[in-house]
Amino acid sequence: MKNKLLAGPYLLWMVVFTLIPLGIVVYYAFTDSMTGSFTLSNLAKIGIYLPIFFRSIGLAAIACMICLVIGYPVAYCIASVGETWRRFLSMLVMLPMCMSFLLRTLAWVALLEDTGILNHALSLLGIGPLPLVRNNGAVILGMVYNYLPYMITPLYTVILKIDPKLEEAAQDLGCSGAQVFRRVTLPLSIPGIVSGITMVFVPAVSTFYISQKLGGTGTVLIGDVIESQFKTAYNPNLGAALSLILMVMVLICVGVMNHFSSDDIGEEMMPL
Amino acid sequence: MAKELIRLQNVSMQFDGETVLDNISLTINDHEFLTLLGPSGCGKTTTLRIIGGFQTPTSGDVFFDGARINDVPPYRRKINTVFQKYALFPHLDVYDNIAFGLRVSKLPEPEVDRRVMEMLEIVSLRGFQNRKVTSLSGGQQQRVAIARALVNQPKVLLLDEPLGALDMRLRKDMQNELKRIQQALEITFIYVTHDQEEALAMSDTVVVMDKGCIQQIGSPVSIYNEPENAFVADFIGESNILDGIMRKDYEVEFFGHRYQCLDKGFAKNEPVDVVIRPEDIDIVPPGGGYLSATVTNVIFKGTFYDTFVDVGDFKWLIQTTDFHEIGDVIGISLDPDAIHVMKKSQYSEQFGDYSSYSAEYDEMEEDPEGEADEE
Amino acid sequence: MKRFTRIFTVVVFLFLYLPMIVLAVASFNKGSDIGAFTGFTFRQYGELFRDSTLLPLLGNSIIIAVVAALISTILGTMAAVGIHNMRRRPQAMAMALTNIPMTNPDIVTGVSLALLFAFAGVMLRRNSIMGFGTLLIAHITFDMPYVILSVMPKLTQMDPDLEEAALDLGCTPVKAFFRVVIHEIMPGIISGALMAFTMSLDDFVISYFVYGPNFVTLPVEIYNYTKKPLQPKIYALFTLLFLVILLLMVLMNLLQLRDARQRQIRKGGAS
Repeated sequence: MKNKLLAGPYLLWMVVFTLIPLGIVVYYAFTDSMTGSFTLSNLAKIGIYLPIFFRSIGLAAIACMICLVIGYPVAYCIASVGETWRRFLSMLVMLPMCMSFLLRTLAWVALLEDTGILNHALSLLGIGPLPLVRNNGAVILGMVYNYLPYMITPLYTVILKIDPKLEEAAQDLGCSGAQVFRRVTLPLSIPGIVSGITMVFVPAVSTFYISQKLGGTGTVLIGDVIESQFKTAYNPNLGAALSLILMVMVLICVGVMNHFSSDDIGEEMMPL
Repeated sequence: MAKELIRLQNVSMQFDGETVLDNISLTINDHEFLTLLGPSGCGKTTTLRIIGGFQTPTSGDVFFDGARINDVPPYRRKINTVFQKYALFPHLDVYDNIAFGLRVSKLPEPEVDRRVMEMLEIVSLRGFQNRKVTSLSGGQQQRVAIARALVNQPKVLLLDEPLGALDMRLRKDMQNELKRIQQALEITFIYVTHDQEEALAMSDTVVVMDKGCIQQIGSPVSIYNEPENAFVADFIGESNILDGIMRKDYEVEFFGHRYQCLDKGFAKNEPVDVVIRPEDIDIVPPGGGYLSATVTNVIFKGTFYDTFVDVGDFKWLIQTTDFHEIGDVIGISLDPDAIHVMKKSQYSEQFGDYSSYSAEYDEMEEDPEGEADEE
Repeated sequence: MKRFTRIFTVVVFLFLYLPMIVLAVASFNKGSDIGAFTGFTFRQYGELFRDSTLLPLLGNSIIIAVVAALISTILGTMAAVGIHNMRRRPQAMAMALTNIPMTNPDIVTGVSLALLFAFAGVMLRRNSIMGFGTLLIAHITFDMPYVILSVMPKLTQMDPDLEEAALDLGCTPVKAFFRVVIHEIMPGIISGALMAFTMSLDDFVISYFVYGPNFVTLPVEIYNYTKKPLQPKIYALFTLLFLVILLLMVLMNLLQLRDARQRQIRKGGAS
């Protein structure tokens, strides 16, 4: 009686434009760019790119942790204010996600450059010019800046759902403020932490724009390599192989993260 | 002469391999007030949903006025439903909610108006037509739900625990109200409840269900007085259920005593279940050949005392207006019409001993969750 | 402690908005160097409106975002209703499929679609099929999961009896949907549509891999642009877009506030 067939067009669409393209990625990853025959040489090149993979994972992981440490108190604060303020602040968190991240990243370049705004200000204090850009630190800053909202939003949603009576109950049972946090609030926010980390890590580990603009020659990330295989070097087979590895790696990370929480990813991303 | 309106014939229902209804057959007459009574998970709501057309039975047939309606969708059945939590449309006001069905069937607006206003009158909600349904009290929402269903002049009204969300006082009022409406409009009501008192008070026919099977069909009086097995005896009212042996017609033996009774047709020396209602027991001075019992607990219930006594290692409940001290030894006298003999069933040995008694025994069956988990 | 958290929160918000302030200030700058403010002027805004390349690109972005949001809202809402009515296992599979574009890095989604379209181009014996069509397909693909994830909770929250009550009162399933169900899930549909729209409007990574030279969106152009020196009128455009999106979000917020209030009233009435 009830019509499940309504999902038909969508499912068909997703198969054609999500599953099949991923199949093609796999196909390309295993074929030679010249002869089109089966080969493992594309995947074997991972050896060359291993340091870049490690750098991507490392920088993304650091950015993730910083986002968590910065994002948690902010999310907690937003969740604890009154309804009108809460809605306004959570909107302010989401707003940057809707603005051109290219331009916002460029604005950071303007801020951090040797002749940029910050160094200009520092020079007035007699400090300076500090090398603020074209290094790992700048790339991490760009990641934190761009993806912090993706950490705050799920955290905020989960913290908001925690019944304040639970915290009162913990106090009633003799927990101090810090203990309440460690024994009740924090464990209950784990689903938010997990989806926050996922939502920051995935785009951060695969970014290419942030590293291009804020990084230097020593901060090439795996996203840059993939992008260049498709856009300049034109070796889609190698690009597909690297994409496949990236995807599998992300899947493993997400799988491991989700192991800590039964919730689906994305659910917390719908704060509204 | 009662005319058959709905017939379920060998209806079974399975969800994910689990049997919810097991080969049910049931006939419902025109103008009848029939109640499906049973604990949660017994299959009563599923039966109702099959009649309403929200579920198709895995096997078996449903007939309406002689025609098979298994595959007729709910919107083509002359049956309307009052839902458990009312299911009023929150985006419509009282008037538009009641007018909903009439407008769907494209009745002219003056006719819609006439019938809605008439219905508001019947459910005593005149003057409420422009209120938001969300601003009404539970009882008022209940009336709107009834009006919304009845305004379509269905042949049958299905009610799924309609009073479950109301408080005690309102519940009693609505019971009378529903009975009055049913008699005034002369339509068939099929009513689902887990509340035996409600079932006995309102119905022409009660269908007692458990574990997907019909345990007994009958009038409230016959269900109460002549339960067919230990489950029915225990579920309807309070019962002491004992093991007995049918020595011959009209004579049953338990606790080493032989009693006259009104039952016959059992095999000689057949083991049976014997039901004795707590209010049918007469207390007499001990000795003189009567069963003797020791009072172990007494609870004041307002119009009577719940008196618990030990007879051997079996604990009985007696409801009496006389007070007895704990520790008193009393005699138990049983008239032939106080003794009901039942065949042994799967339910034997499960019910009837009050040794695990709790003070809330009469609320034990009240399960506000209903059968929500059935799907 | 509380005070510390609040001050900390303010600082984080400043951090989040600092680059935007920089860009907004730069849009009023007389000089073209973003790093040095030399005087106040509206000149960039004037130039922006006379510009014959940026505005059509913005138009392209809006067209893509509107069409993609519209189609994905319709398909996504249908899908959400269908998935909602599925049994547990197919439902879990459908949701797993929905989660693929949400979990996959954008670059992988972009690359995989680029390869698909290249492959399709070869099949169609065309040099390249990249253009409006491929962009639209890509955008619908990553928009639909957002719509589904915002409509699904509304369907789950909805009293399932409401739909059955409509059927009971004579509605066909289609009528029941349009007369009853859609009213209940409307807040989810609207926020899903708005989310799809904003995601599409600002998408760069995926668009970058599937756009064609005859249909370019604004973010892609900004990227190609920034390899050359940047024109300051883009800052003016950014500032205007900021205001528009701010407006959209306030609107969305008001809708949700209304929804929440109604829900509260409903709860109060039923008890």
